[in-house]
Amino acid sequence: MQDLKLLANDKRGKTELGSRRDLVGWHEVTQGSILPSFDGDAIGIALKKAEERVYSNFNSYTATVASWRVQKPVFNIDVCIDCQNCWVWCPDSSILSRDKQMMGIDYDHCKGCQVCSEVCPTNPKSLLMFNEYVQLEDALASWPEKKKKEK
Amino acid sequence: MAVKYDLNEREVWDGNFAASQSLRQAKVDVVAAYPITPSTPIVENYGSYVANGYVDGEFVMVESEHAAMSACVGASASGGRVSTATSSQGFALMVEVLYQASGMRLPIVLNVVNRALASPLNVRGDHSDMYLGRDSGWIQVDAFNAQEAYDLALCAFKIGENHTVRLPVMVHQDGFITSHTAQNVYPLSDEVAYDFVGDFKPVDDMLDFSRPITYGAQTEEDWHFEHKARQHKALFDSREVIDAVFAEFEKISGRAYKRVESYDMEDAEVAIVALGTTVETARVAASELRSEDGIKAGVVAIRNFRPFPFDKVREALANVKSIAVLDRSSPGGAMGAFFNEVSAAIYSTPNRPLVTNYIYGLGGRDFSIEEAKRIFKEQKENADAGHIMTDIQQFSGLRGPSLGFFKTKRG
Amino acid sequence: MATTSIKNLKEFSTTNDRFEGAHTLCPGCAHSMIVRELMNCTDDNLVIGSNTGCLEVSTAVYPFTSWDTSWIHIGFENAASAISGAEAMHKARKKKGTLKDNDASVKFVAFGGDGSTFDIGFQWLSGAIERGHDFTYICLDNENYANTGGQRSSATPIGSTTSTAQAGTHSYGKKEKKKDIVAIMAAHGAPYVAQLAPNKWKAMAKGFQKALETEGPCFINTVSPCCTEWRFDPKDTIGITDLATDSLMFPVYEIIDGHELNILYRPKTVIKVEEYMGAQGRYKHLFKPEYRHIIDKVQKDIDEQWDYLQRREEARI
Repeated sequence: MQDLKLLANDKRGKTELGSRRDLVGWHEVTQGSILPSFDGDAIGIALKKAEERVYSNFNSYTATVASWRVQKPVFNIDVCIDCQNCWVWCPDSSILSRDKQMMGIDYDHCKGCQVCSEVCPTNPKSLLMFNEYVQLEDALASWPEKKKKEK
Repeated sequence: MAVKYDLNEREVWDGNFAASQSLRQAKVDVVAAYPITPSTPIVENYGSYVANGYVDGEFVMVESEHAAMSACVGASASGGRVSTATSSQGFALMVEVLYQASGMRLPIVLNVVNRALASPLNVRGDHSDMYLGRDSGWIQVDAFNAQEAYDLALCAFKIGENHTVRLPVMVHQDGFITSHTAQNVYPLSDEVAYDFVGDFKPVDDMLDFSRPITYGAQTEEDWHFEHKARQHKALFDSREVIDAVFAEFEKISGRAYKRVESYDMEDAEVAIVALGTTVETARVAASELRSEDGIKAGVVAIRNFRPFPFDKVREALANVKSIAVLDRSSPGGAMGAFFNEVSAAIYSTPNRPLVTNYIYGLGGRDFSIEEAKRIFKEQKENADAGHIMTDIQQFSGLRGPSLGFFKTKRG
Repeated sequence: MATTSIKNLKEFSTTNDRFEGAHTLCPGCAHSMIVRELMNCTDDNLVIGSNTGCLEVSTAVYPFTSWDTSWIHIGFENAASAISGAEAMHKARKKKGTLKDNDASVKFVAFGGDGSTFDIGFQWLSGAIERGHDFTYICLDNENYANTGGQRSSATPIGSTTSTAQAGTHSYGKKEKKKDIVAIMAAHGAPYVAQLAPNKWKAMAKGFQKALETEGPCFINTVSPCCTEWRFDPKDTIGITDLATDSLMFPVYEIIDGHELNILYRPKTVIKVEEYMGAQGRYKHLFKPEYRHIIDKVQKDIDEQWDYLQRREEARI
């Protein structure tokens, strides 16, 4: 249910950050080390969603920091109340919200800081941390029950 | 629309006024500046153009020279024509940002009215600040009088803003001797001057919102070298554009400029190589010596300090026997920097002339025609002897016992 | 002006990010929360300048940029001057009609850390505010030079340990009080000055929108908890910010036109500063009996400042 490339532009996270793959010679570096963020016309970019934009290869949207992560947040849509706390406080622009609804996580840009899980107000939480290797289905299957209030 | 400024065919301007008029005629979009002696009048004059409606651009009086160049960088990255002026300590404060401006390939024009660097504090002209900028990646052109300060500032916009160049340009003039001495200047009309400079054509414009761009990225060991190499090549490649701009300027003004200027060099046996107003002093000395003593003296002047005209220097000095390279900057425990560069250029000529170094004129100490003649005569003695008779580095015009370093015998 | 709706988080969440992921800020860093919120609270074009610091070195590492707007970095101290220049160029070109789109609305913003704002870039900031450029300067205040490994700045609070003001057998860390940057900026007569915190997202977004809408130079100090140098778990960034605002270590308030002070957040229950300090490794040494008086001093300073702010607000002067 959680597509790893949910709401993604086809360029999202295609390059490992710091990889030496794209190293070019002095005659091919950009003049003045200037970096354009988009290919083509970017008028009104604030009104376009990520998946509609034409990012340039220089945009860090096209890079991934997934390898930084030890634990990943897993999102459980059945518990979520779409409060958007996780969206506003995600430091890595990795909470995918569309039309006021939480859709999932951008695993190319999430560093696994756990802030989203921490600020999630539901009971049980709709975002929980699991080891990177745990399958999403297994994570969801092991979701905790609602905690009873301690008396 | 700017108010029309009435100009006479011949004006009596000092170097500062001349430079400020070129900024007005180039219709600079943003001047961000901070006053410092002796370049202050450039900024003051420009301020009067602003106050009286002679310019349409913005005038930002910032709180330091560092901020002045920083604002120039921000303004230039925003796609318009930018200029400022400074000297000495102010130049030194700007240095950090000078490297940034050239690294970002921003065609800012900086009028530098050359002045000594403290300590001890001194407001007079020497070339310490010009030398301080020599590795900053800027094009540096040197004016020897007020007319040239005006002409070269106009040329500077056209050179730096050329899309194959896209580099900042410094236009140097000597503090007080040029900047504060009223001389005849023949200005171009506003129309001819602006037609020559042309409209600014933006590249990587921060205010073009169809193409957001990032200026000032970080490059570490995997990228920095390639960027600096590309920048260096652009600086060397600017030579062709500089020649072309000078040629075009000659067409509209009748005044010819070369990256290396040679005077009386056709048959010269001895030569002085110099920068700034000293060039004119040395020219008078050379011509007088030719008639008085029959010494075949000539002068080579470096108009284009950066990119250093290595090949043109070799050509200009290929046939002389003995050369004096004059450095107007305290060498700080080395041979003069200019001496080193000229020596390196002529080292690969078949003739390999003798070359000695004179440190002179520090802090605005006068350099006289008589002293220039004395230096020429020393060169003549070297030439006749076939080796250097004096110390290789000498201080000229200094009180106290003679000061010099290193000797050689060749031949 | 195209402000986005911040009525509630659901509305706000329909905005599109212009600050992209795969920057290299630490996991849990508050800087990016603040920057994202600023960029999401307007649809206008932005021209942004950044001083050298964590934000800058993490968001424009060649060949990548995380900025979907025009962005410039020059040096440690001069983002305010760079933006002054850009703003002046915009004026000049608008007047001459040489902009690509003469009607496009644009806002100018500069970011600096506390090191570049309180210390090395203080003069550049002061000059730009005095000149009255139409821009908003946002300080990301994490109370130390985090980018270079945690040295003291003049924003570091008394008693905090940093690598250049260390706690040790003969020292309780930094001995000097934090500079009151908000008061200093208000004293410049800036039309809008505020101190905001990312946990109070709505107050922050409102403040950002107000600053962007206000003509003239605006200054905002934002508390930006630094898990690396404050020494707390990255997941607790918002929790620590809650402790910061609820202990009144970072009161949330604005000053309009240099005099009209409004408190923007009043904690229901004010907590003791030792609760805030106890949650961070940088204050650990203060809990030794011999340094108890430092905690008491900080508490006294906080109480006095809160009293002052409330009286200022009440007096409407």
